[in-house]
Amino acid sequence: MEKIKEFFKTFLLFELLKGMALTGRYMFARKITVQFPEEKTPQSFRFRGLHAQRRYANGEERCIGCKLCEAVCPALAIKIEVAEREDGTRRTTQYDIDLTKCIFCGFCEESCPVDAIVETRIFEYHGESRGDLYYTKPMLLAVGDKHETQIAKDRAADSKYR
Amino acid sequence: MINIEIDGKLVETEQGSTVMDAAHKAGVYIPHFCYHKKLSISANCRMCLVEVEKAPKPLPACATPAAEGMKVHTHSELAVKAQKGVMEFLLINHPLDCPICDQGGECELQDIAMGYGGGESRYAEEKRVVNPKQIGELISTNEMSRCIQCTRCVRFGQEIAGIMELGMANRTEHAQIMSFVNSSVDSELSGNMIDLCPVGALTSKPFRYTARSWELSRRKSVSPHDGLGSNLALHVKDNKVARVVPVENEAVNECWISDKDRFSYEGLNSPERLTRPMIKQDGKWVEVDWAPALEYVANGLRQIAGSAGAEHIAALATPHSTFEELYLLQKLLRGIGSGNVDYRLRQSDFSADGKQAGAPWLGMPVADINAADRFLVIGSFLRKDHPLLAQRIRQAVKQGAQANIVHAADDDLLMPVANKSIVAPDEMLNTLAQVLKALAAEKQAAVPAEIAAVTVGDAAIAIAKNLASGQQVAVLLGNFAQQHPQAAQIALLAEQIAALCAGRYGYLGEAANSVGAYLAGAVPFAGDVQGMNAAQMLAEPRKAYLLLNVEPELDMHNPQQAMSAMRAADMVVVMSAYKHHAMDYADVLLPVAPFSETSGTFVNTEGRAQSFKGAVKPLAEARPAWKVLRVLGNLLDVSGFDYDTSEAVRAEGLHTLSLDDKLGNRISGVAINIATESNGAGLQRVSDVPIYSADALVRRAASLQKTHDAAVPCVMLNGSQMQKLGVESGDAVKVSQGDASVQLTVQKNDSLPQGAVRVAAGHPATAALGAMFGIMSVERA
Repeated sequence: MEKIKEFFKTFLLFELLKGMALTGRYMFARKITVQFPEEKTPQSFRFRGLHAQRRYANGEERCIGCKLCEAVCPALAIKIEVAEREDGTRRTTQYDIDLTKCIFCGFCEESCPVDAIVETRIFEYHGESRGDLYYTKPMLLAVGDKHETQIAKDRAADSKYR
Repeated sequence: MINIEIDGKLVETEQGSTVMDAAHKAGVYIPHFCYHKKLSISANCRMCLVEVEKAPKPLPACATPAAEGMKVHTHSELAVKAQKGVMEFLLINHPLDCPICDQGGECELQDIAMGYGGGESRYAEEKRVVNPKQIGELISTNEMSRCIQCTRCVRFGQEIAGIMELGMANRTEHAQIMSFVNSSVDSELSGNMIDLCPVGALTSKPFRYTARSWELSRRKSVSPHDGLGSNLALHVKDNKVARVVPVENEAVNECWISDKDRFSYEGLNSPERLTRPMIKQDGKWVEVDWAPALEYVANGLRQIAGSAGAEHIAALATPHSTFEELYLLQKLLRGIGSGNVDYRLRQSDFSADGKQAGAPWLGMPVADINAADRFLVIGSFLRKDHPLLAQRIRQAVKQGAQANIVHAADDDLLMPVANKSIVAPDEMLNTLAQVLKALAAEKQAAVPAEIAAVTVGDAAIAIAKNLASGQQVAVLLGNFAQQHPQAAQIALLAEQIAALCAGRYGYLGEAANSVGAYLAGAVPFAGDVQGMNAAQMLAEPRKAYLLLNVEPELDMHNPQQAMSAMRAADMVVVMSAYKHHAMDYADVLLPVAPFSETSGTFVNTEGRAQSFKGAVKPLAEARPAWKVLRVLGNLLDVSGFDYDTSEAVRAEGLHTLSLDDKLGNRISGVAINIATESNGAGLQRVSDVPIYSADALVRRAASLQKTHDAAVPCVMLNGSQMQKLGVESGDAVKVSQGDASVQLTVQKNDSLPQGAVRVAAGHPATAALGAMFGIMSVERA
């Protein structure tokens, strides 16, 4: 019986009609393709994109140069140098992230005792040469300054799970 | 021996030892903060509480004597509860600033909090804040709030350093570690408090915030400073020495190092480092490559050897150089036909040359110092010249030994001294003769005829009586005695004194490789080609000088004479890690690597050869001196200069000898002669080499140079002398020696003997003066 069924299916183009039916269904269904960059997909507040360095409300940078992020970074993408600032506090003199090395695991953010290094929702950054993706401290701080409202909102949303 | 059970393990331990000792033997770890094996027991941190069966409450393991049949549980419910409770209390006031703390990652509190602490704090009230205090340039107390009052630093000061510079003021929550009002911690061993501090309350100021502990790689090395040869661990980051900590070696430095060993690393990274070979051309310094520089040196030496004779070439090296460097230097010189090589730069009496049984050494193992019960220390600025050997003598004195001093200055040794005889330099020999005569009387032995005529004073009798009553007598000759113009005679008398009381005598080695330099043959009377000693080389100026790590204006017995010899020479080749005064008179500067950048060997004062490897790469174009000398040997066609490694040099120089029979202090063939030439009217110079001016490296250690010990030296005079001159402490005076004079401030020091004036040597402020011993005049400026 099965064999006869198969036999008729082969020359009655049953598979073709089945496939066309699926195509037809999608033709009339609601579209889910996002028209990037005009349209964007929704993001989680835990999205791990471009890094940023944050400041406190009074403008003081948060980073204290404890180097935990450097130590935990599995890709060895972070390079930090530290010195004592004139006011006696411990501050970084160099804080670089090589984004070509970074694997966006988020360990740096997780290890940071003062929430200084964070990963933002930004993912569409680019560079024209490799060197452009080597982010230095002023660049990271600039990212943080620009997106602080969003960053703070995301941390607040995540705080109850931490 | 008593038997005790710890966590089910049976251990045998000595009568009188504690539960902590027994646990250590059993391999059971008991958490602790205030306990330290080298310090007294204070039992104030309570971290080591353990349960002892039949005791109603937990007991502190560090302070509970072990008793027969005792059963101890370190992990029982009661013990764990007690430990957790203590930990919680300790953390109440401890700030949560581990991320910025220099101790983070190597902190005992951090580790033990991980193992024994709770996960969260129940303490929500305000934490205690302790204001930071300034206690000097080496130790940072900026975060005294971190202190857990273990008092290790206080006990270290009292017990090891000999002076309580830190103390705990106030009680309970107000208790604070502080120094006396407005005073700093000036001990030459103070850096050890940083190691002892179990938290980050006392941290190293020069190291502050430069690295985290996990970024450092640890490489073993040996101290290039005093004669002890302390074992060091160089902590390296990015090919730079970031700090230095001790490596425990009970036979040498125990678990301590002096501040000189610890903080001198700053000199390794000094901006004064020489980075490329330089040649002076038409009065201007030009940086060149190694090949033309070495070519230039070889040609120059060849020319001088050809025209004036090889005996016009001389080499001076500091005893801070490695064995390999010194061995190749003397081999090179002898290879080109000159025996003028010497490392004894500050020595002035060479009458025992070739008559000593072997290399002058300590005469006993370093560890035996602790076992001696009578000391006679002759001519030594003990604390400043030998910080850790002084510490050993201090420990011996604590155990009941008695120290006697014969010296020209009465510096505080921070230990009880039984008898001392403080005399002018030219009376030292006479004083020793008196001691010997009195001792001979005490022991009913024959008095050597040469000293029979001396009149014995009370001080000498007291010293002799004291020595005679000892079982283990150690007679030690310090740097001052070795530099004395009658050094050989002093050594002869010391030998006789030691012999009369069946004791041992020896030299407190001036530098890391004093013994090694002798064994390497860097002396004019060793080997087949003999030559001039350090003093002769300068008194009869040579045409060419090779200087290995030497800064003649600071390192020589007579800097004035040394400088005029350098200026008159046709060619001065300076092998140095630093640009220095040599820019004035040298023709070639060759950048050589300091101890951290080369492999080598130091033979310490007890004859212990300690080899080390380079911890970091040589800076820029600097090269290890043994390689430089090797290439020079090749260029000058000296045979046997085909070494591939420094180990090969060491094997050739040290391998064939067993060190024991190459060490020997006995001087034979020199007659005792205690007559002292009267050298005219004036004040006799007593000169020490300040602790932080003693070698090229410490001179460039920025933080050490800011300490009180590195201050510009004063002229010290006793009160009556000052009255005569009509000057007061703080006045400027002109000090003249021969035709040279310098202006310094004067300071009163009533312990100086009459007729003596103390003016430090080895310091730029006094470099213009003449010999370390001699007649000086002081007048109001």
